[in-house]
Amino acid sequence: MSIVAELAAIVLPVFFCAGLGLLWIRSGREFNSDLVSTLVYKIAVPCLIIATFSKVRLEISVITEIALAAIIIYLVTAAIAAIVLRIFKLSFPAYLPSMIFPLVGSMGLPVCLFAFGEKGLALALVYFTLGAVGTFTIGAAIASGRADFKKLLQEPALWAAVIAIGIIYWDISLPKWMYDSTKLLGGMAFPLQLIALGCSLGRFQVSSLPRGIGLGLFRLAIGFAIGFGVAEFFALEGMVRAIVILQSSMPVAVSNYLFAVIYKREPEEVASMVLISAAMSVVTLPLLLLYLL
Amino acid sequence: MDLVFQIASIIAPLFVIAGIGYLWGRSGRPFDTTIVGMLTLNFGVPALIFSTLTKLEVSLIQFGEIIGIFGLFMLANLAIGALLLRAFKLEIEAFLPALSFPNNGNMGLPLCLFAFGDTGLALGIAVFALMSTANVTIGFAFASGKWSLATMFKTPLPWIIVAALFFMAAEMPPPRWIANTAEIIGGMSIPLMLIALGVSLSRLEVRDFKQSVWLGFARLAIGFGLGVCLAWAFDLEGAARGVLILQCTMPPAVMNYILAARFDRQATGVAGVVVVSTFMSLLTLPLLMLFVLAG
Repeated sequence: MSIVAELAAIVLPVFFCAGLGLLWIRSGREFNSDLVSTLVYKIAVPCLIIATFSKVRLEISVITEIALAAIIIYLVTAAIAAIVLRIFKLSFPAYLPSMIFPLVGSMGLPVCLFAFGEKGLALALVYFTLGAVGTFTIGAAIASGRADFKKLLQEPALWAAVIAIGIIYWDISLPKWMYDSTKLLGGMAFPLQLIALGCSLGRFQVSSLPRGIGLGLFRLAIGFAIGFGVAEFFALEGMVRAIVILQSSMPVAVSNYLFAVIYKREPEEVASMVLISAAMSVVTLPLLLLYLL
Repeated sequence: MDLVFQIASIIAPLFVIAGIGYLWGRSGRPFDTTIVGMLTLNFGVPALIFSTLTKLEVSLIQFGEIIGIFGLFMLANLAIGALLLRAFKLEIEAFLPALSFPNNGNMGLPLCLFAFGDTGLALGIAVFALMSTANVTIGFAFASGKWSLATMFKTPLPWIIVAALFFMAAEMPPPRWIANTAEIIGGMSIPLMLIALGVSLSRLEVRDFKQSVWLGFARLAIGFGLGVCLAWAFDLEGAARGVLILQCTMPPAVMNYILAARFDRQATGVAGVVVVSTFMSLLTLPLLMLFVLAG
């Protein structure tokens, strides 16, 4: 019983918030995604990064450990996914980014917070920041043919990460008013991200079910396998190991859809993968947590 | 010196976050106040009220006490406001809500939180729950000329409050998944409301400066006077006293302007009162905090 309650406390808030967004869209209401994504990515997430790292004092060695693991996971996933897509003769620009970049933000962060508290969130944020950097460089490069460094440098999350590293490196404590402000603003990140996620899912349609299921399953499976493998290889333990495996096993990120729309790389197919893999995670996420806790 | 520093650190987040909204509005970027209003009123605020009350920082008795006293404040404020407007021959339906319904959400809640911690937030939110219910029912009735209790029960707020009172009465925390859900959804309310406040302030325009100044001043003065008297009469101390006086002395809620605009009750005049009073309050906030914390 207690394990059920514990799992519920971790996954239900995430599904509930996303469900609100989904119902919102399905009830025919409007949702201004531009406004919400500006609030989330220009204000809330950078503030969340600064507030979290000024409170949770991670050691530099732990940060490099999880960062290294994340980079290796992204690279290995990219290599394996490329081989499999080549075998099935599927287009790289359309499908490869979705295989590499999982939903480490809107789903991964709150799950890690509820499962492992603020330290878990801090570790998950390291993984997330690298994912964001990867999405704008490698992801954009695969979808469009060139890396978008300009866009990357305009991302406030990247600057926030730089500030966070400074805070840790020089062991700075933020004045109370700065911490309070960033903490409050950071509080918008999860609910808005999740509601927006639900809204996107509510708008998506499944275009080709067998392919969607196949690729969705493949994404979740390689995510878990590679996360597990890399964690074993680096002999990661405890919370760091769990966070690496959790973040690696998330479903397909919605940002892949946004790139597919911008660069006209079969957005319907990507939308259907995002939707199906998110639906599958309703089952796989509790199982994964059961294994990790 | 310590107190000055403490006050600065309580007030600064308010300026920072509302300032973001103000700059956003000034930059001419679109800001869809309806969607933000829907998100906060339908999801954020009910979740924040539930999650704050069920942390059981205040007992049902303290909750009832502050609500009762704040109810008295509202009645007294409505009466004084009506007399004042009658004396100066101003339209009561247009200006009484702005004189009587303070900004207990956007501005009041972060101040209560930073000045008195979680207990302050819980007391502040009890007041806010009563206030927002009154604002949508009485305020709506004034502006529209119709009384409607049914509209209130179409919003999730009263039901959520009932659920929170149940957990408070049982002195039992809700299941963790509910608590976690309410906590994250509630977390967006204060920042979103403050940003929206900043945006509104940058957009509302002041036409009749003289009238706005004296009505805006009247709101703050009546609120402060009544708050201090009631706190003294009921022998309130510490967080309860501070929260009561703070919440009574807030400038008019932006909701007053929204209702006035919707029912065409001198909306520009009301906008002027809201803006001028809010800026006056921001300027006098350090003194108010000094009074509340030093007492």
